[in-house]
Amino acid sequence: MKKVSVITAIMLFCIGAHAFCGFYVAKADATLFNTKSQIILVRDGERSVITMSNDFKGDVKDFAMVIPVPVVLGRNDIRVVNPALFSMLDSYSAPRMVEYWDTEPCLRYMECDEMIDVRSMSMVPIMAREESVSRKDKQYHVTVEARYDVEEYDVLILSAKESGGLKQWLIHNGYKIPEGAEEVLDPYIKNGLKFFVVKVDLEEMKARNTEYMRPLQIEFNSGKFMLPIRLGMANADGDQDMIVYAFTRQGRVECTNYRTVKLPTDRNIPAFVKEKGQFGPFYKDLFTKAYDREGRNSVFLEYAWNVTPNFGMKCDPCVGPPPMYQEFVDAGANWIDPNNPNNSPIFFTRLHVRYNRDEFPQDLFFQVTPNMEHFQGRYVVTNAATGDMSCSGGQEYLKELEMRRKKEVDELAALTGWKSPRYASYIYQYSAGIHEPKRNEGLPFIPWSTGGTVAGIMALALGFVVRRRKKALQLENA
Amino acid sequence: MLGTFILNWDTLLPKVMVVLGTCMVTQLAFIKVGKAHESSWMSSLITALGLCLLFRANDLNTLAFASVLSISSKFFFRIRGKHLFNPANLGIIGTLLITQDGWISPGQWGSSVIFLFIMGALGSILLFRVGRLDTTMAFLIAFFVLEYCRTVLYLGWSMDVLIHKFSSGSFILFAFFMITDPKTTPDHPWARKIWAVSIAVLAFIMSTWAYIHTAPIWALFLITPLTAVFDLLWKSERFRWLKERNLNPI
Repeated sequence: MKKVSVITAIMLFCIGAHAFCGFYVAKADATLFNTKSQIILVRDGERSVITMSNDFKGDVKDFAMVIPVPVVLGRNDIRVVNPALFSMLDSYSAPRMVEYWDTEPCLRYMECDEMIDVRSMSMVPIMAREESVSRKDKQYHVTVEARYDVEEYDVLILSAKESGGLKQWLIHNGYKIPEGAEEVLDPYIKNGLKFFVVKVDLEEMKARNTEYMRPLQIEFNSGKFMLPIRLGMANADGDQDMIVYAFTRQGRVECTNYRTVKLPTDRNIPAFVKEKGQFGPFYKDLFTKAYDREGRNSVFLEYAWNVTPNFGMKCDPCVGPPPMYQEFVDAGANWIDPNNPNNSPIFFTRLHVRYNRDEFPQDLFFQVTPNMEHFQGRYVVTNAATGDMSCSGGQEYLKELEMRRKKEVDELAALTGWKSPRYASYIYQYSAGIHEPKRNEGLPFIPWSTGGTVAGIMALALGFVVRRRKKALQLENA
Repeated sequence: MLGTFILNWDTLLPKVMVVLGTCMVTQLAFIKVGKAHESSWMSSLITALGLCLLFRANDLNTLAFASVLSISSKFFFRIRGKHLFNPANLGIIGTLLITQDGWISPGQWGSSVIFLFIMGALGSILLFRVGRLDTTMAFLIAFFVLEYCRTVLYLGWSMDVLIHKFSSGSFILFAFFMITDPKTTPDHPWARKIWAVSIAVLAFIMSTWAYIHTAPIWALFLITPLTAVFDLLWKSERFRWLKERNLNPI
């Protein structure tokens, strides 16, 4: 029996549909905390396919992962997939910034609002790790239900009768279980869940001549549609972030026991946010502020769209090419008709959850809804026009630009909390070009603007009507 | 209002207008043809409120359909002068089954303590006045005991897991404002308590072993027709709205 001192740092990352979520176990290295995880979740009727990214960055021999699963998985229910699938889905569905240019007001016949550049806020991956296993042990009431070699992974499916035995079994077989794990294992065991334990097949890794571990995918049928995040909190220190990419036939996936809310979107923000490296911190702070505002116990919708290939536009703007037939198949959407993939319905939902033990006492439960409303996180920067501003239109433009930039800075503060006296230079960047108006000369009471002109005319008309009415009354009295 | 301005629900106003308008128009149509008393239009507002609070759909036509179904059920499904189904409940379930376009979002009301307190206080005052607080209490206590036994005693989750389950806004709205309709609850106080407990038991079974997140709403749909049986077994004075009492003094 191979013994490994293992462990801990669990990162649990949850998995999807049926009570799953596991934890990564790292070898005595407390620095390996899970801060962000990615999961692809496909749900069709009671069939779930869950794909977990593997961003473990330590020594592969130390890697191990434990995940509760609802049933004993067969060999064909476990696969490895191409890691590019995650980066593709992430970059495609990530909140995005779109850039527009103002037209020059003193030039005529110019197209306005031409969109030029798009950037996305991509995720940063995560990590974890672990180690070896053993077999049936009556003393611990733990049974090895199945053992599989899955490419570079060795997989065991365990069942247990009580958490103490499972914990002891794991320790006996070289795993170090984090404090607090036992109280979470117990409810899962009593709920009839099995444990999917994964370690790396070092020989296979050597044969593949790589230390990079590909994402694992599991498939099963169950009425439960959930992610057991509690297990991952066992050794978590603070908040953890999880991105869920969900695919269904019908429509959006939403959480049933926490509020699913939309991120603030379609907001105009200052143009300096597009500067190199600024959009990432911007989105990070925006998310944190939204998370605080919503009570720290909500699930955030970042993207929702009908991505059926023949549907047409799938984003505005698109950050990258949309997922197509091969990506859907790789994710596990087996209802896509290979003979007619363009007409097979598929809806893409991206959820972002930041959770911790206090605010998320329950695991995440989901449901598939017929909700087909589209959504994307979208932030707009508009570049000022340049050139001659001496014409009246140009002068009006500069005044409006100043006002607009004030609103953009206010919006930035509302979204992210960013405030700085330096932003004044952005607001008044072009204000020097505004010349004092030679206005109202000889007509001091009539404001020189369209609104003012209309108001003045209406006032005159009203006066005229009143005067006529008075005259009419005088005539009647006479 | 709360949904629109605090919970940031999208495009809520047109949907509320459609539900309110359709419920009112349907009720007025039944009043016009002599199926309902003129004073009954207020009850359509209560049904509309139930639909607005718990039901969602992509299409405004689906909401209109649910509204017509809800109000119509009061006149087409009757037994011994009482409704066979809770109107809003039937409208929701019927539309879910027929259109495939609607859904219930159990998490949409969140689990804010302030929200729960307000809803609980308002609901208690209202139900005390109409004499149906016992129904809500019986349902909540029975459901809590069952969940406590399974979640805390058997599975071993900590109490905050149980409290989180019970702090669902949708669950509280259901308990205070849907199952307490005097026209669909049994007349006798003890019958009502047993009736409410049976809804709790069925909802618990459906949520625990069938994983139905909207189990209470389905349980109410299945149990409500049994009200007639409860009324036969336990006879008591029939509930009447105040205006009905004034118009038809016993």
